[in-house]
Amino acid sequence: MFPDPARDYQCPDQLRCELKFGGGSPITKQPLVRLVNVWKRFGSIQALAGASLDVYPGEIHVVLGENGAGKTSLMCVLAGLYRPDQGEVLVNGQQFAVRTPADALKLGVTMVHQHFELVDNLSVWENVVLGAEGGRFALTRRRCHQAVRQLASEHGVEVDIDARVRDLPVGLQQKVEILKMLYRRARILILDEPTTFLTPQEVDTLLVTLQRLAASGLAILLVTHKLRDALRVGDRLTVMRGGRVVASLPAAGGTEELLVQWMMGEPPAAATKLLETARPAPPAPDAPVLLEVEETSTVGTHNRLRLQGISFRLRAGEIVGVAGVAGSGQRELAELLVGLLPVAAGRIRLSGVDITKLPIRDRLDRGLVLVPEDRVRDGILPGMTLAETVVLGLHRHLFPNVWYDFARAMQLGRNAIEQHAVRAPHPLIPSTYLSGGNIQKLILARAVETCRIRAEPVVVALNPSRGLDVRAVQHVHQQLRSVVGRGGAVLLVSEDLDELIGLCHHIVVLHRGQTVAEFDGPGYDRYSIGEAMLGSAA
Amino acid sequence: MYVAALAAALAINTLVIAILRHDPWVAYKTALNDSLGSIGGFAQTLNRMTPLLLVAITFSLSRQVGLANIGMDGQIYVGGVLATGIGLSLAPAGLPAWQMVPLVLAGGAMAGAAFVLIAGVLRAAWGVSEIFTTVMLNFVAAYLVEFLCTGPWNDPTAGEAITYPIPRTAALPMLITRGGAHTGVLLACAVAVLTWGLLYRTVPGYEMRAVGANARAALIAGIGVTRVQLIALTLGGGLSGLAGAIEVAGVHERLLVGLTPGYGFMGILVAVLARYHPLVLIPVSFAFAVLVAGSDSLQRTVGFPASAVFLVQALVVIVIMVVEALRARRERYVI
Repeated sequence: MFPDPARDYQCPDQLRCELKFGGGSPITKQPLVRLVNVWKRFGSIQALAGASLDVYPGEIHVVLGENGAGKTSLMCVLAGLYRPDQGEVLVNGQQFAVRTPADALKLGVTMVHQHFELVDNLSVWENVVLGAEGGRFALTRRRCHQAVRQLASEHGVEVDIDARVRDLPVGLQQKVEILKMLYRRARILILDEPTTFLTPQEVDTLLVTLQRLAASGLAILLVTHKLRDALRVGDRLTVMRGGRVVASLPAAGGTEELLVQWMMGEPPAAATKLLETARPAPPAPDAPVLLEVEETSTVGTHNRLRLQGISFRLRAGEIVGVAGVAGSGQRELAELLVGLLPVAAGRIRLSGVDITKLPIRDRLDRGLVLVPEDRVRDGILPGMTLAETVVLGLHRHLFPNVWYDFARAMQLGRNAIEQHAVRAPHPLIPSTYLSGGNIQKLILARAVETCRIRAEPVVVALNPSRGLDVRAVQHVHQQLRSVVGRGGAVLLVSEDLDELIGLCHHIVVLHRGQTVAEFDGPGYDRYSIGEAMLGSAA
Repeated sequence: MYVAALAAALAINTLVIAILRHDPWVAYKTALNDSLGSIGGFAQTLNRMTPLLLVAITFSLSRQVGLANIGMDGQIYVGGVLATGIGLSLAPAGLPAWQMVPLVLAGGAMAGAAFVLIAGVLRAAWGVSEIFTTVMLNFVAAYLVEFLCTGPWNDPTAGEAITYPIPRTAALPMLITRGGAHTGVLLACAVAVLTWGLLYRTVPGYEMRAVGANARAALIAGIGVTRVQLIALTLGGGLSGLAGAIEVAGVHERLLVGLTPGYGFMGILVAVLARYHPLVLIPVSFAFAVLVAGSDSLQRTVGFPASAVFLVQALVVIVIMVVEALRARRERYVI
């Protein structure tokens, strides 16, 4: 199906050819592809409600919007992953049926997803050619290798093409994904939230790479909710909300305030309030230390990174952030603290009591609460009701006798709905029916409730706002602040540096299972934190 | 929906009866008469329902904590073995019935619990799948019974693989004397209600359901997952052992090789259909008992193969499962 890559590879020329046909100057040029009036419904959710989008060659087109605004759905329609209920894809004014990703590839549409689709133990070049090897049976190894190398140098993508993918940091893995798409002769490259889990340095190089690709004639669709990235590289901005396109304009016309208003659909005052990330007041210098981790290490296993020399302390009224690129030991750290992972050496103290050897239950009863990373897998009780889910972990305290107090559980469930904004009609609804944001609110309601009954609570939150929309993120942050406000402490483990910088009094950097650096807020230097995350700090 | 499912199963069954060259009308009439229509038939149905219900509770308990105990037949057998053993060994002591019956039943329950504990401990200690161990233990128990029935406890006057009878004082009191329905069914229903109370009205029961719903979430919430699973498994095994003791003390009054004609697997069907809810198990196990008693009578009177009842059961279960799957797909929505 694919022609010999080494001989036939001529993507850039082809593009230039396309450009010529499209007309020279940016103002008069024709759109490469147009999405017109696209509708898509998933069950009771209208994901897209008549969204339209024009894609021009040689441009970085930023698609902005909250989570759930329909950005990703629209991109998936273009990439042939979703079939729209209504609407069409126009190429040169003619309707083009995009029913499968293969159809989309004929148009040159490729998509880099938020979670990469790479084979970890293959090398970079093998990943790039995978699925588009060409030839019938034999893999023409040398030719492919050469073609990938040529491709990488042509586009200025700096990556060692013989390295194994699993040894590469996230930023480079992303480049491999981009290279993979270029190899498939991408003319329209869609990137879904590419900057979320990158260090500032990696974001910089990614954006430069994208600008270079756009200059060579590619159309880049950058899906993001980060205004800073959007305004930095975007040539054209499209704002989506509720499945509709609410604005589409050249980047020069957009200001941050305007974009926020469009994204939120709120009047200016309310919108800026949502954007605000008020840092809680710093703790008193003599505030007691609630959690102290001293030179702690664990034994690594085949799927658990080995932690070494982890040290930090958490004082009452303090939010401490743990920064690090994905897979630096964040999950292991959380498991270590709650007691899922045994300690090999070192000591953990909670309010002065040594909990190093205590089981999970005793740690929880002393006020150490986990907000788990995988909310569905670790947080809820599928098949059981919302009320039953919200009392999990609290049940020993709530029901000191053997009897399960149904009324008490219902009361807590109602409380979660009313005060923690869990959107559910009543507390007896199965918790599987809740969406990610609502599940997170439920888990936080549980954590906050635990904090209310313990004297000196410590909340360990692992990527608590991942995948949530702006309002839900706001709610999460508000809850974490309220824990701190009541004399508790929060350890916020996040791969999103912006979140940490906005919220934390202190940031500890984790790199390959070690705490390598510490930073004091509020005046953080993003780039030096980024350096530490990449392991290049002294 | 369910009515349609049952109708479909019934239609297929009618077809099978017709293919086997029997008159479906006569067959159904006989079956119904001998399971519900007469006192004797109704008594048979109740006697069949007792082990079915207990076994279904066993399986439900294991499912409620996320395990699958499918060794109920084995647990019935060892329960029957210890019940018979106690009955035979205490026969010379001449204890009154009010002491003898509880001793026999408690012995059966303990044997069942201890037997499933083998699988439970293997799982807790080394993570050996309880599915395999319980199935394998079924064979162990079945051969133990065969050995006892043909060897040490064999009643030479019977000329069959059955043991000496247990003393009359060890027999369960009768509920309906005419048809021979014993009081075991009351006990089984009481156990179902108690199990419901345990699961839905107590904290240990809540922990069991939490473990079954999401073991990892339960672990993070400080619940001793292994301990809870072990308790539920043992409790369940005890109930199947009790079923074995009831079969011995209520129906056969001795141990025999065919003590359980596959109650274990029928119990799984009952439990699945009732969605492991202890109270729903009562009517469902009754319905299955009707099927079993009816097919027995068909076999005796019309010469209809008893395995045909398994066909009906399987059809009912398959059709209902399909209906449920379809409904689940339609209902799927997220707030």
